[in-house]
Amino acid sequence: MKDFAYVRPKNLVEALSFLHEYGHDTKIIAGGTDVVVDLRAGVIKPEYLLDVSRLAELKGIQLRSDGLWVGAGVTLSEIFSSEVLECHAPALKKCAATFASKQIRNVATIGGNVAHCSPCADTIPPLVIHDADVVLASINGIRQLPLEHVVSGPYTCALPDQEIIMGFILKPAAVTHADFQKIGRRKALATARISMSYMARKDFRGKISFFRFSLGACTPTPRQWPMVEELLAGKVPTENLIWKAARLLSEKMIEITGRRSSTVYKEPAIQGLFVKMLYPMV
Amino acid sequence: MDQHRVTITFTLNGKSVTMDVPGAMNALTLIRERLKLKGTKEGCGIGECGACTILVEGRAVNACLMLAAQLDGRDVQTVEGLAHEEGLSLLQESFVKHHAVQCGFCTPGLLMSAKALLAENPCPDKAAIAQAISGNICRCTGYQQIFDSIRHATGAPTGEEKT
Ligand SMILES: Cc1cc2nc3c(=O)[nH]c(=O)nc-3n(C[C@H](O)[C@H](O)[C@H](O)COP(=O)(O)OP(=O)(O)OC[C@H]3O[C@@H](n4cnc5c(N)ncnc54)[C@H](O)[C@@H]3O)c2cc1C
Ligand code: FES
Ligand code: FES
Repeated sequence: MKDFAYVRPKNLVEALSFLHEYGHDTKIIAGGTDVVVDLRAGVIKPEYLLDVSRLAELKGIQLRSDGLWVGAGVTLSEIFSSEVLECHAPALKKCAATFASKQIRNVATIGGNVAHCSPCADTIPPLVIHDADVVLASINGIRQLPLEHVVSGPYTCALPDQEIIMGFILKPAAVTHADFQKIGRRKALATARISMSYMARKDFRGKISFFRFSLGACTPTPRQWPMVEELLAGKVPTENLIWKAARLLSEKMIEITGRRSSTVYKEPAIQGLFVKMLYPMV
Repeated sequence: MDQHRVTITFTLNGKSVTMDVPGAMNALTLIRERLKLKGTKEGCGIGECGACTILVEGRAVNACLMLAAQLDGRDVQTVEGLAHEEGLSLLQESFVKHHAVQCGFCTPGLLMSAKALLAENPCPDKAAIAQAISGNICRCTGYQQIFDSIRHATGAPTGEEKT
């Protein structure tokens, strides 16, 4: 590892002033589960490492007037044990259950997961279905952007180096069904990896009155799937209907990515995972 | 002051320690090379095997992914802190009794993951144990003996198998 200076600011203002001056030569570190791996591999060679893991301004999960606040410094373990998320964003909570290992969940943060911009970041599909906004802070103030604008491409994050992600604002949702599913190991099978998340409400007639879905890892950036959502909205979920939606989803995915060698595997895998995930609604 | 060095103070197995560390040193190197506590192992160095598991504020973490500087102000426990003057802890005794140790390379990490689990949940079922140790790889035992050791470690009723 190259030598670098370790800096731990006492509060957000101190952190932002540091970035204002040295942002260009600085790497932010939170849980370090991506950063330390990258430092060791020599992929990044910063002059300064700015530790944001203890900033109180980046903590907390709360229902506020503008939505459901999840601080960037919240760990995956905190997400997993949050009762507020159980009620208002159950799919996000669910993704923490299968995230890496206990040791990693105890330090890895949601802010780090999003900022690393890996196409297979597990928190992204749940954030997409909740129309999450990213709250960014710099010395010039605070701004709020849709998640899709920040995660702009695989491993490219549209974040200037003077900015810190403070947290996320989700649209809370009261739903009857929600889930997160994934296939494949992160490193060994990165190209074959698929993740997806949904939430839905069935009304008293058994019809789907609300449905949101997002696919992770398969397309270069996160996106919404309005055609799949439209196909299911207002209908009674049957096995047939779910298969039809699954076929539509894989067709649309191939339209985006083109046919590749991995498509032979991905097409049935996406369909199968989608049907498995939605089956509890039938 | 040399910007590349940081002075840190933390509690290690109950005793306060203060030292100067390079910013780029990870917690595992600090523990093994500077403090000469060789119980904590390096398997992969990238968060995948759990051989380097230590407890920070009671929570299991990979020492290979944490910077030494991040230990500042924290309560840190390594496998060396488990035994008392009178002998091994109940958990360690249970590992011995149930033959959960073969080559032993994974054992310190597993003991620390198990300790964190038992502090949270003194009577874990098989699923809870699996959740807690899924980040610890053992190439020797096939895990069954490890499950048994953890399940019987607190002296909770042993006869019935809760799976
Ligand atoms: C063995 C292993 C298994 C893993 N398994 C999974 C998995 O199952 N699913 C998954 O999605 N990921 C997985 N990961 C990847 C990693 O754990 C996650 O991406 C994690 O959420 C990163 O968070 P962190 O706090 O550790 O980030 P760090 O490593 O500290 O930082 C990651 C990136 O985010 C930036 N950053 C951090 N916080 C902020 C902030 N507040 N503002 C701006 N930028 C910031 C950093 O500069 C860096 O670029 C795994 C990693 C390992 C080593
Ligand atoms: S050495 Fe730390 S997880 Fe393998
Ligand atoms: S006893 Fe050898 S790796 Fe577990």
